[in-house]
Amino acid sequence: MSAGLTEPAELEVQGLTKYFRADSAVRARSFVHAVDDVSFTLRPGTITALVGESGSGKSTVARLLARLYAPTSGRVLFDGDDLTKIRGRRRTLAYRRQVQMTFQDPFGSLNPAKTIRHHLERPLQIHGIVPKSRVDQRVYELLDRVGLVPPGRVATKYPHELSGGQRQRVAIARALAVEPSVVVADEPISMLDVSIRIGILNLMKDLKEQHNLAFLYVTHDLASARYVADDILVMYAGQIVEQGPVDQVLSSPLHPYTQLLMASVPDPSVARHEQIEVTRGHAAAAIDPGEGCRFLSRCPIAIDVCSRVTPQLVEARSRQSARCHVNAPAHVI
Amino acid sequence: MTATSSSTAPRPFGRSEPLIQLRGLTVEYATEAQPVRAVDGIDLEIAPGEILGLAGESGCGKSTVANALMQILRPPASITGGQILFNGDDLTARSSEELRKFRWRNVSMVFQSAMNALNPVTRVGTQFVDMMQAHERISRNAALARAGELLELVGIDARRVRAYPHELSGGMRQRVIIAMALALEPELVIMDEPTTALDVVVQREILQQIGVLQRELGFAVLFITHDLSLLIEIADRIAIMYAGEIVEEAPADEIHRAPRHPYTIGLMQSFPPLSGPIVRMAGIPGSPPDLANPPEGCRFHPRCPHCRPEDALLYARQTTERPRLRLVGEKHLVACHLVEAET
Amino acid sequence: MAQIQAEIQATPLDPVVAPEDSSRRFHLPGWLTLLLRNPKARIGLFVLGTMVVLAIIAPFIANAESATTFNILTTRQAPSWHHLFGTTDQGSDVWAGVVFGARRSLLTGFLAAVLATALAATLGITAAYMGGLVDDVISLITAVVFVIPAIPLLIDITAYIHNRGMLTMILVVGGLLWAFEARILRGQALTLKNRDFVHAAKVSGESNRRIVFGELMPNMISRIAAAFVLVFYIAILVEAGLEFLGLGDSGKSSWGVSLYWATVNSSVLQGEWWSFLFPGLAIGLTVLALTLILAGIDEVSNPRLRGIPKKRTSRSRRSAKA
Repeated sequence: MSAGLTEPAELEVQGLTKYFRADSAVRARSFVHAVDDVSFTLRPGTITALVGESGSGKSTVARLLARLYAPTSGRVLFDGDDLTKIRGRRRTLAYRRQVQMTFQDPFGSLNPAKTIRHHLERPLQIHGIVPKSRVDQRVYELLDRVGLVPPGRVATKYPHELSGGQRQRVAIARALAVEPSVVVADEPISMLDVSIRIGILNLMKDLKEQHNLAFLYVTHDLASARYVADDILVMYAGQIVEQGPVDQVLSSPLHPYTQLLMASVPDPSVARHEQIEVTRGHAAAAIDPGEGCRFLSRCPIAIDVCSRVTPQLVEARSRQSARCHVNAPAHVI
Repeated sequence: MTATSSSTAPRPFGRSEPLIQLRGLTVEYATEAQPVRAVDGIDLEIAPGEILGLAGESGCGKSTVANALMQILRPPASITGGQILFNGDDLTARSSEELRKFRWRNVSMVFQSAMNALNPVTRVGTQFVDMMQAHERISRNAALARAGELLELVGIDARRVRAYPHELSGGMRQRVIIAMALALEPELVIMDEPTTALDVVVQREILQQIGVLQRELGFAVLFITHDLSLLIEIADRIAIMYAGEIVEEAPADEIHRAPRHPYTIGLMQSFPPLSGPIVRMAGIPGSPPDLANPPEGCRFHPRCPHCRPEDALLYARQTTERPRLRLVGEKHLVACHLVEAET
Repeated sequence: MAQIQAEIQATPLDPVVAPEDSSRRFHLPGWLTLLLRNPKARIGLFVLGTMVVLAIIAPFIANAESATTFNILTTRQAPSWHHLFGTTDQGSDVWAGVVFGARRSLLTGFLAAVLATALAATLGITAAYMGGLVDDVISLITAVVFVIPAIPLLIDITAYIHNRGMLTMILVVGGLLWAFEARILRGQALTLKNRDFVHAAKVSGESNRRIVFGELMPNMISRIAAAFVLVFYIAILVEAGLEFLGLGDSGKSSWGVSLYWATVNSSVLQGEWWSFLFPGLAIGLTVLALTLILAGIDEVSNPRLRGIPKKRTSRSRRSAKA
């Protein structure tokens, strides 16, 4: 059940930027650089993990893609169209058919006053996915596809009657209802019980294969990113600092921040965990950052140029890029 | 060591007198209908200076155990059975005034969210002073000086004593409440999901700090979390809780190497590895039971891959009889009918 | 593929969840049932219900004519078997006046409350959700109406308008009382509008109108119901007050008009307590009933006021903690 295109298309994000006002003056002087010049491509049939700590900008990227915010600048290209230039209800709806989103809080993302059936019916009705007579049947099919059985009974329930894992499956079913090409999953498992998380991750993997979907899996958890994703993007202070195939990046990270993350994550298989340096600075987006690398204050390998010139993303190995003067220096021309 | 079936779990590995002993502890929540047993007759011991991890998912009762230990349960929750022995003394028999002195001096607690423990409108130093003066005679200046020392101990500049909580980052606030928990040099510090709300790098920093402090000051830690992979790294021993009961208890590396209870095995199957081959993992089907109406017999049986009606005899036991904790190795306890079947 | 199917089947619906809820199929009646269990609400609903029933069966329990007649023969009689509540100065039957007056007073109050609540909910929630200029404009209008002293304005308006009918009263009272509830409902809608399910509805493609009426409003039922009950009893009091001052339609029977005539004719001074007491009691009991219902709604909506923990909430919370 693809999006009805003859050939599934890629979603290409170019230079996506979002600044928020940092002061309350009438003409804002100060801006929080929540997302700064982010570029990546989401390919059909792949799961791309967007990894970062709180405030790094990953949730903002998700919401920009879902058109809950308007970007400050940048382009989102899908099948040749620049989606940031969309105006008008009809074209907005067409976009929403292609790009869907699930939210982090399984409690908050469903309307407590409406049945599960309502949640799945509405997207079908709004976009006219199936004729009226077939709506009920499609609702049951969707529930079945995400493993909520028996669908007839689940459809009559209210959100508070389901567990967290079941609700998250409903949220995924709702996203699938419009037959999108891209699903942005914003921390889908971080609020679920541990034993239920793998089930949701497996579901994502299966759906990716069955429907050739492109997933953007936003998370702070490296282990689940490794389990489910094909590619990984690491964000810090609003910028992508490393990207590449997930196994390659995590086993031999180029950027010192990725190395720090790998050293910090609990890993029972490691005999004795190496100590990490306690340093100042955090992953949160900066206000009016100037030139220079934003990781400077925490970087163990910083050199002189790091404080003066903002490093660019450079492909230092096959398909793996990093934003670091030391480990991924720009090619001297 | 043979398997025994006494009413209290056999614990032959006490080197010294245990600091804390929970014997048959039961905590119930009164509801409109029948009372709900959040903690159902558990036995647990914490030796001086050891780090005991208590792992389980939401609703298993682990936080209730912590609150019961600290004697801070509020209605409708109450201890309805068992004993809590601190150095041999039964806490459930003490008066509230004695408990007030006991709290914080002998046992202190670190909560998940620092903002639950810190007063947002008072400076950090003042909160230290208030706390210390509630327990001992100490002048304000002396208390403030001590507060500064404690902050340095957890890696914060002593001058931040004058800060308000909102001026500090999340990680720093968590360190502040750790410092407060250590202020009166307790013998046991209970930590209830102390790093869950923090980013992974900050979490690592705090855990390192806790490790250093624990080695220096020698307090015991009851570390409560759902993150089993974390416990395997930092704990000496780990107890796994499910539906108000302890289902397995063993040294940390034993849990990692050779878990015996199907729930523990399932939990281990829920943490994807950071290295090695990526294989499809199974997790655990279903969800934790409703404690108002727990399953008959073994509480895990509806979700257990080894509970099959075809194995009639075993199935009958699994659905009617609650398994008891039995010794299956040196220091390794499991409550499972399958394990009994072997020994 | 079979393995994938098996994996997907591995999450059957939790058997514990299903059985108890098969009887509660709809959300609203469930909330209503809770309200009916609340003792305060029950008393209030009973008293109000009695009033409504009396109003409805008025033609069968009293003589419509006798409510407003001039009858020299029957003036100023104390309560007796003939005239349950006695008679007024003009010889009208007070009992008939009360039960027929109930029709007018209750209906006017009810419709004014409907008008005011509809305005408050629509404007308040729309302002909260749309934000920006829409919010600014609606909030400005709300603030202006809110600030105007309602009673003096109502007195002025009713003094000038020659048509003193029910419709005028409904429009005037309802048209002024919506403002303070609009602010409250706007406040509540503001807390809801950033919940993820509203974002999710937007991402699904819902129009703004459907989000306001279909997503936000259903989650504010208890607050809207409280607003309605509140405006209802204020409307009754205000109308009674206006009629008492002689600004109502003194030819028709209603509670406030009865009080008006009783005052004009100095009934109390002459010891004829019945012509004043019974209409006043009717107003008082109705307002009391509505206040009790309001207290019941408050207790039902805020579990903390109830004292016993809500079993369902604590259970469903537990299964999704991080």
